[in-house]
Amino acid sequence: MVLIPEVVPTITASLYLPAVYLAMIVGFLGLTGIAIQKKDIHILILTDLVGLAMLIMVAAVGTDLAEALVLPGLVVELAEIMAISEILISREMRKIENAEPIDRVIARKHSVFPFPLKLDMEIMTTAPNFIALVMILYGAFLTGFTGGAVAGGGILFYIFSRKARGLPVIVIDGIGAISGFSWCLWIIGFVLFFIAPQYWLLLLFMAACGLFLKVASKLGLIGAMMREEYKKE
Amino acid sequence: MFFYTGCILAILGSIATVVGPGVKDPIVRTFNTEVAAIGLSLIFLVYNHTLALMTFIAATAVTTLILLRVITRLEEIGADA
Repeated sequence: MVLIPEVVPTITASLYLPAVYLAMIVGFLGLTGIAIQKKDIHILILTDLVGLAMLIMVAAVGTDLAEALVLPGLVVELAEIMAISEILISREMRKIENAEPIDRVIARKHSVFPFPLKLDMEIMTTAPNFIALVMILYGAFLTGFTGGAVAGGGILFYIFSRKARGLPVIVIDGIGAISGFSWCLWIIGFVLFFIAPQYWLLLLFMAACGLFLKVASKLGLIGAMMREEYKKE
Repeated sequence: MFFYTGCILAILGSIATVVGPGVKDPIVRTFNTEVAAIGLSLIFLVYNHTLALMTFIAATAVTTLILLRVITRLEEIGADA
């Protein structure tokens, strides 16, 4: 016996069981893969698959509740993959540094810094201005985490494909500061929402714009990081 | 209809990611994950989760970029990870 509230449409209720079974199958396959694999990088990719199973499970709830739960799930998954990838890289670098001298000669031939890679694609010379403009405008219109992700994607693409390399340190620090201030804006908006509910519209916009700036600036930094790696000449 | 297409894509994509052809190469494995991701997008579409779908697409693009960066980085330093 499952209790279904009246606001849930019948189609959502009828699709609930198939979706949950699907999530279980996908999650089981992903976890089996993780159990079999030995190499860390493969395990990292398979973790992504288990994350998809988690999202299917949440989406099966339907209604706005699911949407409110999917967004934090995505954020956590993104942050987790970024952190683990950094740990993987630094661990492998330390392993090579501590290796036997004979291995070290071989290791030095592959420098620990990435070698220059010529990325010469049409889309990266003609499109960035237009695509970045459209995505930032649309993201600003959406606000909130979704808007931040959309606008951040535009900024990431723009910064990644422009020729000029090497942001001055002050700019990177500045982007970090914007991100911190907007995080405060979000928290203040959220707290005041409970203290002074009569200003809900102002507080809603404070929180939404804070989150928008925060996510967009963070994704912009990822773009700068990627360009430093791939555009060395 | 979309829902079951999404289910089939998600299951096929996850099988392909775990045991599919050529998954010894991490890049192939990453691209196979995308198949399952398309299945999930279709399921979001059925449930009318507009915001979730849009955020998911943006987040998937960034995740793929991060994964590709790790893979190329690890291959360059010649690590056997």
